[in-house]
Amino acid sequence: MNLFKRIVFKLYVLILMGFTVWYGMFMYPLIFGFEGKEEAALSLQELGDGVAADEEMFARLIEEQEHTSRTDLGFKVIEQPYIEGRFHHIGFSVQKDQTSMCVRCHGNIPHDKSVELRSFMNMHAFYLACETCHMPPEEGQPDHEFRWYDKDSGKLVPNPRALHDIEESYRTAARIYPTYGNYGAKIAPGIEENGSFRLLHGKKDMLFVERYISEQGRLTPEKKSQMERVIHRGVSEKPIECKYCHNDQDQFLPFAKLGYPPQWTTELTNSSVVGMIEKYKEFYIPSFLTPGIDEGAD
Amino acid sequence: MIRRYSHIFGASLVAIVSLTLYSAPVVADDELDCIMCHKYRGLSRIDEDGEFRLFYINQELFNSGPHRRNQCKDCHNDIDRIPHKPAVKVDCAQQCHIVEPSGEKRFTHESIAETLARSAHGKLDAEGNPKPFQEDYPDCKDCHDQPFYRPVSVDKGTIHPGVSERAVTRCKSCHKNGDFAEDFYEHVTSRLRKTRFPMETIENCAKCHQDPEFRERHELDDVVTSYKQTFHGKLIALGSEKTADCLDCHVVAGENTHLIESQSEPASAVYKTNVPATCGTEGCHTQAGPYLAGFQTHVTYDREKYPMQFYMLIFFKGLIAVVLYFFLALIFFELLRRLFPNFTFIREKR
Repeated sequence: MNLFKRIVFKLYVLILMGFTVWYGMFMYPLIFGFEGKEEAALSLQELGDGVAADEEMFARLIEEQEHTSRTDLGFKVIEQPYIEGRFHHIGFSVQKDQTSMCVRCHGNIPHDKSVELRSFMNMHAFYLACETCHMPPEEGQPDHEFRWYDKDSGKLVPNPRALHDIEESYRTAARIYPTYGNYGAKIAPGIEENGSFRLLHGKKDMLFVERYISEQGRLTPEKKSQMERVIHRGVSEKPIECKYCHNDQDQFLPFAKLGYPPQWTTELTNSSVVGMIEKYKEFYIPSFLTPGIDEGAD
Repeated sequence: MIRRYSHIFGASLVAIVSLTLYSAPVVADDELDCIMCHKYRGLSRIDEDGEFRLFYINQELFNSGPHRRNQCKDCHNDIDRIPHKPAVKVDCAQQCHIVEPSGEKRFTHESIAETLARSAHGKLDAEGNPKPFQEDYPDCKDCHDQPFYRPVSVDKGTIHPGVSERAVTRCKSCHKNGDFAEDFYEHVTSRLRKTRFPMETIENCAKCHQDPEFRERHELDDVVTSYKQTFHGKLIALGSEKTADCLDCHVVAGENTHLIESQSEPASAVYKTNVPATCGTEGCHTQAGPYLAGFQTHVTYDREKYPMQFYMLIFFKGLIAVVLYFFLALIFFELLRRLFPNFTFIREKR
């Protein structure tokens, strides 16, 4: 019993000693932290003095990526991505496409050449896989089938619930604000083979691209061009145009099958949208399809 | 920095061109059907300078603030057709279609722009000459994103954030048309408290005032960091809305928040002779004597600029460190003795 008491006492003393050391360490930044901050700010400033504008911008972009803005209304808190100088609120973050081999290099906002169309095409890139428009079936080949895939996992998923919410918003007089264009999924083309569906761009293609990216430093310029050609095999010089879907006769995308509600489908294939795209007919054909040709022309 | 903003202006400029299609009557009609395109979260591009420009309008959030009665064209008045070319920068001082009820004139932020112009943040000096580093001086959008209503309700003597449905119902017994009652209620009660959470105000000021390069250009102290170390700063960091933020102390008495003067200006709220009145303002230290803030309130410990404060800081930090670590060491060795009661470096000769 006496031994037990002694062990407990020793343990107690050890814990107190540990606490004393921890407390000393805990207090150190509270006492001296301010100078540390100043030094850090100065060193950052020195670092900032020596960098080019582009490098500064790159650093800002990286910083902004982590930055969210928080607005506390008392009864509601709005967390949203921060974009410097933006006036209107965004309200939510977009789910990234982690599985598209095209996005892996070209990013989520790839269109920038055609002044008239770039924003619209980027808008579509949020819910249409690149190959939907850029890899149409060649002549003589059967039409593609279209399905939704999850942006995170790349797996096929049912038609998004958000599409039903949009239909509901048409039916009610109450203020409902459905989300357009951010479904956590994208439409992608594929082929029916032996009773099963296969996406044009699957996991295997992504692995191929990943391998190319990791090993491109070792490749000669010729081999790199060859590899790029292989990666872009099947990409058409003439992408699907807006009018192929936005018309009231025969749409390239099967809206109803993909879960688009009737009223919204009517909106997309009639009057206003179709009328507007009639005025936008200028297309930019990406130069990666014709290696060796100068990319200057817009 | 301002130049950087200008690249993004277009995003918001084009962006306002939308809103309100499916909303209730108080919300302005979207006569150009801007929202047909701008409701899509992905409507965006990277501009020639590499800046991300997002043209998305979140209708729900847009309809949560005082601009919800404006049509897109009220601000983006250069856009008169769809499809449209890149929009020009919005001039907040222009008139919009809303009629200001007390004067029955079309509404404009012009008076606010005039106030800002004669403050420390104005681009011209007292003689009307441009101040150096013009791009550092703020425009509306540098401090303001789209405003929200922050309404409050009072129920049985207790104040809550949000709209009181009971109060609105009472208003609606006479004001039946549309959402007038809701709109008026939110507009008025949002003015009964800070229109922004204090930490958001501080972070807003910090965008410039904590930027080392900006401070160096204008020879300013790091007032944001020093403020955050004060009692006021710490309370706000803990979530208080009752504590003084930058605007509570720095806005000239009797003026709107856009009139902030340099502390060297006699009109400034923090000019040495005005400090007691500022501290004793309504809702703050009304009972305080004249010396409550008779010291350098949030001091920057700059060795060259404020040597006395700097060395005082070093002295007190040293004092705290010596006292604390001396006693911690004492406690540690005392405990060590309890652990090894018979241990000694000196061997006793028997």
